[in-house]
Amino acid sequence: MLLLDYQNVLIQSVLTERFSGAPPVSIDQTVSDFDGVIFHISTPDVKTKIVISIQIRCYKDLVRYGAEEVLNREYGPYVIPPEPGYDFSIQVDLENLPESKEDREELVKKISLLKRNAMAGPFEQAYQEHYHLKQEAAKFTSEEAPQGVREGGEVKAIHYREEEAIYVKASHDRVTVIFSTVFREETDRVFGKVFIQEFVDARRRAIQNAPQVLFRNDPPLELQDVPGVKNTGTGDIGYVTFVLFPRHLTPQRMPDVISHIQTFRDYFHYHIKASKAYIHTRMRRRTADFLQGKQLLFIAYIVKLAANQCAVLRRARPENEEKERKTASGRTFKVGS
Amino acid sequence: MANQTPAVVMDNGTGFSKLGFAGNDSPSFVFPTAIATKGPAAGSGGSGSGRPAVANKPSFLTGGAGPTGHLSAKRGTEDLDFFIGDEAIAASSGPGYGLHYPIRHGQIENWDHMERFWSNSIFKYLRVEPEDHHFLLTEPPLNPPENRENTAEIFFESFNCAGLYIAVQAVLALAASWTSSKVTDRSLTGTVIDSGDGVTHVIPVAEGYVIGSSIKSIPIAGRDITYFVQSLLRDRGEPDSSLKTAQEIKEEYCYVCPDIVKEFGRFDRDRTRFLRHVVKQPGGREVSVDIGYERFLAPEIFFNPEIYSSDFLTPLPVVVDGVIQSSPIDVRRGLYKNIVLSGGSTLYKDFGRRLQRDIKQLVDARIKASEARSGGAKSGGLDVQVITHKRQRHGPWFGGSLLGQTPEFRSYCHTKAEYQEYGPGIVRRFALLGGPGGS
Amino acid sequence: MSQSLRPYLQAVRSSLTAALCLSNFASQTAERHNVPEVEARTSPEVLLTPLTIARNENERVLIEPSINSIRISIKIKQADEIEHILVHKFTRFLTQRAESFFILRRKPIKGYDISFLITNFHTEEMLKNKLVDFIIEFMEEVDKEISEMKLFLNARARFVAESFLTPFD
Repeated sequence: MLLLDYQNVLIQSVLTERFSGAPPVSIDQTVSDFDGVIFHISTPDVKTKIVISIQIRCYKDLVRYGAEEVLNREYGPYVIPPEPGYDFSIQVDLENLPESKEDREELVKKISLLKRNAMAGPFEQAYQEHYHLKQEAAKFTSEEAPQGVREGGEVKAIHYREEEAIYVKASHDRVTVIFSTVFREETDRVFGKVFIQEFVDARRRAIQNAPQVLFRNDPPLELQDVPGVKNTGTGDIGYVTFVLFPRHLTPQRMPDVISHIQTFRDYFHYHIKASKAYIHTRMRRRTADFLQGKQLLFIAYIVKLAANQCAVLRRARPENEEKERKTASGRTFKVGS
Repeated sequence: MANQTPAVVMDNGTGFSKLGFAGNDSPSFVFPTAIATKGPAAGSGGSGSGRPAVANKPSFLTGGAGPTGHLSAKRGTEDLDFFIGDEAIAASSGPGYGLHYPIRHGQIENWDHMERFWSNSIFKYLRVEPEDHHFLLTEPPLNPPENRENTAEIFFESFNCAGLYIAVQAVLALAASWTSSKVTDRSLTGTVIDSGDGVTHVIPVAEGYVIGSSIKSIPIAGRDITYFVQSLLRDRGEPDSSLKTAQEIKEEYCYVCPDIVKEFGRFDRDRTRFLRHVVKQPGGREVSVDIGYERFLAPEIFFNPEIYSSDFLTPLPVVVDGVIQSSPIDVRRGLYKNIVLSGGSTLYKDFGRRLQRDIKQLVDARIKASEARSGGAKSGGLDVQVITHKRQRHGPWFGGSLLGQTPEFRSYCHTKAEYQEYGPGIVRRFALLGGPGGS
Repeated sequence: MSQSLRPYLQAVRSSLTAALCLSNFASQTAERHNVPEVEARTSPEVLLTPLTIARNENERVLIEPSINSIRISIKIKQADEIEHILVHKFTRFLTQRAESFFILRRKPIKGYDISFLITNFHTEEMLKNKLVDFIIEFMEEVDKEISEMKLFLNARARFVAESFLTPFD
């Protein structure tokens, strides 16, 4: 697996099964997603009415930046007042599903993207602002543009994790997305640094059209006046900046770009962990190599030890042969191994 | 953290892995513990050494600086190219992928594969950031402590998980039985009968600790019942006798009867007991299969193994009785009183009732004999109780879910900081979750 | 690189061969005990002068001989942060499995990355020159492994970065 999925696999599989005409059953599952998002899939009243609720840490931030419009647009007829303890709920009636198979699949897909859509609000707003500013800026040359146009829109801060946040800022020629990252662990920090360096270099080397990626340990200029962003000076918070250029900002590409950029942090962490797993694999293999080399070397030692142990074992366990047994079906298996 | 993230409960068994979040009543994902990787299958592999075979070094080990440019970027990414679970089975039927089962006899044999299996379960299926969640894993009874350490190494070093608890499956199965109305005190003493697909274990547990010396396993389990049903279908020359059909019949129609001879008579008197099962064959044709005596004969191989097997002849009740008799004398009463079923092959209707009756008979006979020998002394009798409950199928997982949602669960976990302070040896000991002093 | 590595390893090899001259020697302080003197440090007269062989300040070997045991500590080259982390991870991985290596010390000496302890019982049961070969081979292999892991990490990072950015293209 290289890229992470955008949708929640569990919601998708549960709904696909429910929508396929299986007999209704009662569901009550709490499911987690990345970044502390919690879903609750349940059938509170009747088995045919499935309620899906989402709880997001930064929902207040998201609402401020237009999440509700996006969600209402996407889930319009399904939206119900939020379940207590959750931020947003939708309800699907199994007896009232779209007719065609494609439409049903579409609906499943849409619901499993609930988290993505909830997070998309600020991004979409930034896109709109960008379009607006672009129009404004077209009226002026770069020098005489009024202050507001040159500076761009306000910085939208989404505190999606306890210590980390996404900042989105639109201006007339770009949209800047900044992730603040914190590594609690030394190994991760070093690995992360290597990875980010390659993100920064990738554009220069191979993919010219990709967004520009910048990395620094102190808050970038865009965030200077944002409350809550402080320069700790210790460098344990990093800021990864993605600069989206107009070619990424066309309305046609908007949904994909938004989905994709949201997964950055989890993708990044997933790969750090996958590399560690791979390095473990290598170390295991290398250790086995060493041990094999060592085994040749220790042959005398082992033979002697083994001879001793065999003698001891033979005395201690007269029924040493009864180690292997047959199962009823004729396969063999070891007893007590 | 204001709102606590639910703990992740993972029960990786030989055949199937059960994954989900604590607090739910069923696992979110159940799929085969299989991983499909590029290259041919390892064959029989895993000769029991516990260490992956020292294979030929892959090309990136021997090859020095390969060709630079785009090709080198592709180099060394084979380890990301794999599938797990049902996708693995699907991929292995195509070309290029080999299927591996990293767990054998309940114990992890291939750590490289297991590490990747976990990585994919966490990031692709459960979709959680392991740093935010506590994990509850299970292990079979008598798992060597080195395996625990290896597991901890992976979870803390690769995944940086927030906290880890490793529990014995049998103990979790006992905890799962607390949902039954028959259970009055939440004790962790009892006998667990865990019957999965490959093998059936009888495990005595006293105060949350497994009595390792008394564990017995029986080579009769779900797969054998399926084979038995299949052989009966074949003997009658039914139009469809595939393994899949046999399994469907087993799961849907089988039950345990109190007495086979009477049950044969009842079937002969009442023809409505014979059923028909409709099988949809791949071609779209529908075939009807008769179902007869196998309805009660199939699960009967637990109680009368001689009708199926020629080399294992001890009935399950006798094995259970033997296990309890070989346990320390002061816990036997508790073990008889709380016999808990777990695993898919214990789901037959009336399985528990029959087992209870048979064990009771054995026990009563023994008491009577000793009363006679003692010349007049009276015994107070012995309670035998077999507990069946709704969560039997995924008993260990459900027990884990139950314990994982308790507020004190987190304090029982070992954290990353503790791991770094003491080293992997820390996971050799866990405070007993749900035991005395717990909830 | 291997130009300067060879004399270094050669020096380690000859010093080790010379130092691996051990005999059975009972403890002088505790009756009926036989402990590695280099660890116990109770009788200064049976300890020999330690010897450091250094290729540069980052790569050195410390050999501490005594009458019945010898301690070899290796500092593996760590040019940057990444290598430091990798060395740390790898040595910890190895010491975790120390029991299967017999001569590996569970804890390295301060200032070094990994230590071995060879006693006269080891040399009695194993061929001395093979033991030296093992240590030398170990040093070579660890170096190689660390640089390969670093290469891998960079290649992986590049690959990961490119595949994340490609969809934007």
